[in-house]
Amino acid sequence: MNITKQYLCLIILLCSLGLSADLYGQELFVFSEPASNMAAKGIGLRLTSMPMKNEVSKKIDNYANIEVMIGVSKKLMLHNEIYFSNIAGNSKIIGTGFYGKYRLYTSDAVHRHFRVAALSRLTFLDGIAARAPINLTAKNSGAELGMVATQLINKYAFSAGFSYLRGWDNGKYKFQNASLNRDALAYNIALGKLVLPKEYVGYDQLNVNVMLEGLGQVNPVTGQHIFDVAPSLQFIIASKMRIDAGYRFRVLDDYSSIYKRSFLLRFEYNWFNVL
Amino acid sequence: MKLFIFAILASLSFSSTAQIKSAKLQASGLTCSMCSNSIHKALETLPFVDKIVANIKESTFNITFKEGQNIDIDAIKNKVDDAGFSVANLALVVDLDKKELKNDTHISINGLTFHILKTSEKVGNANEVITISDKGFVPTKVFKKNKALIKMDCYETGVAASCCTKDGIAAGTRIYHITI
Repeated sequence: MNITKQYLCLIILLCSLGLSADLYGQELFVFSEPASNMAAKGIGLRLTSMPMKNEVSKKIDNYANIEVMIGVSKKLMLHNEIYFSNIAGNSKIIGTGFYGKYRLYTSDAVHRHFRVAALSRLTFLDGIAARAPINLTAKNSGAELGMVATQLINKYAFSAGFSYLRGWDNGKYKFQNASLNRDALAYNIALGKLVLPKEYVGYDQLNVNVMLEGLGQVNPVTGQHIFDVAPSLQFIIASKMRIDAGYRFRVLDDYSSIYKRSFLLRFEYNWFNVL
Repeated sequence: MKLFIFAILASLSFSSTAQIKSAKLQASGLTCSMCSNSIHKALETLPFVDKIVANIKESTFNITFKEGQNIDIDAIKNKVDDAGFSVANLALVVDLDKKELKNDTHISINGLTFHILKTSEKVGNANEVITISDKGFVPTKVFKKNKALIKMDCYETGVAASCCTKDGIAAGTRIYHITI
């Protein structure tokens, strides 16, 4: 897909987001986490595949992960991920990661909410080169500390977050030019809208969300900047299962990144009140 | 002594007829069916709940209770909180047949104590709707506004204070504040 087509898709998506209807939106973003938490005592399982176009080898490298999510309390949720990649040939485990989110502020009204949460992520990977820009969900070991705010108003969901990232060595693979590149300030903005069903009548209806996310990263030492745009579709089945399909492409790249375009396919299932 | 026995009999007769029949709960902070489902699943775990009918569009849950069970109103609120959301409104359908309802008095229903904040001062019927006004059962802004107007310690804390002892309620008893 060339850049012109990408922008055309983006414009179509923005137009569809702007269409008004008496529906309600959801806060479940695809490439970024919202401030909203999962239910206490619930468990969620995610299987995610992210095929990325390698601009050097011209091949598709696949990064995947299995993620277990736990609603520890109404304010705290924890995730554990196991990461896989086929970059070294066969698909194999390349590491693990931990993610935690704590809700700091809540303001609820009927059909709307505003939430602010603090988040942290630790990722431990091995077997792949460690370089900037930092991606703690696929190809970098490191730590993240940040905040995110999410506003739901009827059919729309808005979210914005920022975080500090520190990249580490990936096991024996040293972080390339670590003193210059190991730190980053990341930010994201997200917009979502529920487009189906026309009217809620039961939990078995298929829900469809359209999302648009922007994900950026700035190197505070060198000033290098990347910015990705990521449109996506989300299907909620039986009010407990979720399928995400997204495309992420780089529109600003000061790093000559080897990955500029990727797809995302995710399956998620939630069990309520199991702990 | 006769008066004392009469008072005991009257109170027994009162508690046997004053029953919580069902509830209509409206939750806030959610807009999606998955969120509604998480509240539904949480409410289902309450041992005294018989049946729940959800309206996803309105974020409401009509709850019927099992007969003869003690109903824990705080547990209902806690389940909604744990699901990640808040209670916007909780109305209970209660049998208050032939009960005299007056402002700023206490009544006992299903062994729970209720403080009537506002009523049209009437004789109750078999299907009175009472609405809980306590902290966590109404939006935070509404609670703060009420607190400034009501100026009673028991409203702020949810437990019996000096303002309740005139009706013989022990200090520290959980008090739900209601409008009828």
